[in-house]
Amino acid sequence: MSLDISFIGILIGSIMASSVPLILAASGELITERSGVLNLGVEGMMIIGAISGFALMVITDNLLIAIVGSMLSGVIISLIFGFLTQSLLTNHVATGLALTIFGIGLSAMLGKNFVGIPGKEFPILFSSLRESIPFFGPILFGHSIVLYFAFALPFLTNYFLKKTKLGLVVRAVGDSPVSASNQGINVILVRYCCILYGGAMCGLAGAYLSLIYTPQWIENMTAGRGWIALALVVFATWSPIKVLIGALIFGGITILQLHMQAIGFRIPVQFLSALPYLMTIIVLVVISRDSRKIKLNTPTSLGRIFYKEK
Amino acid sequence: MATDLRISNISKIYPGCIANDNVSLQFKSGKIYALLGENGAGKSTLVKILSGVISPDNGEVYLNEKNLKLSSPLDAKKNKIGMVFQHFNLFETLSVFENLSIDATEDNKSLRVKINEILKKYNFSIDLDVPVLNLSAGQKQKVEIIRCLLRSPKVLIMDEPTSVLTEQETEELFISLKKFCDEGILIIYITHKLKEVLSLCDEVAVMRKGKVVSVSQTQNERVETLANKMVGQKLAKIKKKINISTNKDEIFKVKHLNFYSDDPFETNLVNLNFSVKKGECLGIAGISGNGQNELFQILSGEIITPDTSIIFRNKEIAKLNPKQRREYLMAFSPEDRISQAAVPELKIYENVALNNFKSSNFFEKGLVNEKKIKEHSKKILSDFSVNTDNVELKSQFLSGGNLQKLILGRELITAPELLICYNPTWGLDVGAINYIHETLIKINDQEKSTILISTDTEELLKLSDRIAVIYKGKLSKIMPSEEVTPEKLGVLMGGGSID
Repeated sequence: MSLDISFIGILIGSIMASSVPLILAASGELITERSGVLNLGVEGMMIIGAISGFALMVITDNLLIAIVGSMLSGVIISLIFGFLTQSLLTNHVATGLALTIFGIGLSAMLGKNFVGIPGKEFPILFSSLRESIPFFGPILFGHSIVLYFAFALPFLTNYFLKKTKLGLVVRAVGDSPVSASNQGINVILVRYCCILYGGAMCGLAGAYLSLIYTPQWIENMTAGRGWIALALVVFATWSPIKVLIGALIFGGITILQLHMQAIGFRIPVQFLSALPYLMTIIVLVVISRDSRKIKLNTPTSLGRIFYKEK
Repeated sequence: MATDLRISNISKIYPGCIANDNVSLQFKSGKIYALLGENGAGKSTLVKILSGVISPDNGEVYLNEKNLKLSSPLDAKKNKIGMVFQHFNLFETLSVFENLSIDATEDNKSLRVKINEILKKYNFSIDLDVPVLNLSAGQKQKVEIIRCLLRSPKVLIMDEPTSVLTEQETEELFISLKKFCDEGILIIYITHKLKEVLSLCDEVAVMRKGKVVSVSQTQNERVETLANKMVGQKLAKIKKKINISTNKDEIFKVKHLNFYSDDPFETNLVNLNFSVKKGECLGIAGISGNGQNELFQILSGEIITPDTSIIFRNKEIAKLNPKQRREYLMAFSPEDRISQAAVPELKIYENVALNNFKSSNFFEKGLVNEKKIKEHSKKILSDFSVNTDNVELKSQFLSGGNLQKLILGRELITAPELLICYNPTWGLDVGAINYIHETLIKINDQEKSTILISTDTEELLKLSDRIAVIYKGKLSKIMPSEEVTPEKLGVLMGGGSID
């Protein structure tokens, strides 16, 4: 293996691609959690997004419909969660877990007839620039539009939360739903919106896997990425930019350890496979060890059921 | 323009409790109105209705003869009714400015100008860009008040605003409220503190069990008359016989108590020495934040300090933890009933079981002896007249007074030789305060001792045999209470000296 500069460029490009589903799902979940709702159904919503995106692509042969449809399916399944937790006041944790189990089962059932069907090539942007510029070409160009969106998303999320009025409302609701309600904010509505947005992003993350990253349908193809996304949000202490960093580290070490396994390093494979999880947690804990900042970013009411006094 | 607020026949019924029973009241601007009542009298329900948080089952609210539909807090805001809640409605992790901007209609720049004008006008000093969780209780309350003022309110409702304030902050608040009143804002002041009603308000309405029982001018009232109206019966006057016998045994003796902390929110204690005799009550006065917290924690064994000597019944106990100290027959009643003294989510009998002794046999071979604990709890409930006989009730549903009775009962039923309590009547209504005071006096009558750390000077003068003042972690000389006057205490508590 030659470690020349263009290889490193290609490597970085592939790391970026592998971290996209994490960034999308974690950014969505981050907004949901910032409003005080803990939705553990990320994995379930992602896998539903993956199958519905792939199925729509096969049926309609239209990638735009497939992408939009996957997001809609995420919205619909998160609506179930929203209705249960916000309107029927069920426990967030139990409902989220049920959602994941439901999603995995439903996707396997829906996906039966789609196993083995080849995917369609997803258009990539600036493919000529990718070849012509060494090193930076494969990093910056030749990706799908979803990747560019995913890398913009943490910055947009950060701007939304810190600079806009709506972002302030979301943070306020997550901090103290009772106070927010007494200030005349419709807490339930805000939380519904955040849950649905999180669902849409998880759906998109799933569709990225089945339409772009590995364009085919395999049962259980999200393979725990939803759980990683959930952990990223917590270890990134609810900061969108740190979510991005965490997702890149996780994607990076996943790819690197695969290369190390291929080369045949004398390190147990099990340890190498565990490395991404370990390193991501260590790095995120180290970069967010300021306890004061953690306190300010943590949605105080996370996972607590809110009901309005009558 | 003058404001006229009229409440007519308001009723609100909860399952098992009539919170408001046909309440009718009238308020006019230019005056400060007090709404007085014990905990659970229905004051908070009434103001929640006025601020649109809950809607009444019956009745109308009129503002300047216009019938108001108050079905959400937004309606109250639109109609210029501002409300400062007892439990602040702030977002702790957001900055002061973000808190204020969340429901503002103007853009951030002009809002900041407007806020600064208010800060200047009323002489408030608050940093707008720090998170609210860094503010003191008094500052948080000012943020709430500013939030109301930003909407130029016609009516300002204050729900038990002084329960979290220091005396100085209370004075500042009263000055501001009088200013608002002069500017034509109608002020409704909810409280159960009688003195505040007399010193601040012009008219007072007393509520009891959901009904308005009296409306009168405060100038025609005295503390006693108001108290009787509030409780609905004549309160027994409590007077303590001062323990004069000087040659009794010292049961508890503290020497060289020093405490150093790096935490800027903690107070260092400097060389405290004191002792308590059998059957005596030693009062420790002081404005909160002068080291009382630290002192209580050291006396109870939560903090162990090196080189301190604490002798209790002729044994050195300075290195023992709270449980071991309890075994030696000490008992503790911390200031914070909800988080330090009891676990609100646990049932009454479970809270009782927390204070478990080797001798109490609450646990056998690692198993909980529920029957025994429940019997024991029932005894506490009846002996200390807690207003329930259901030991399965979660402690969070007890009112402050009943919870304090339960805690004292739990501590006292083991017949301790020394009880250390910190602000035992904090936030309680007169009826409950009276009961707690009687209980504390009874302890001394039975030749048991008490240390009373309190910020309430009146309570100290009533209950203590000797009094010392703690100021910035230092203890004044200990004085017999018949030599102490409220004025003297005030001087010492403010850091002055008397001769």
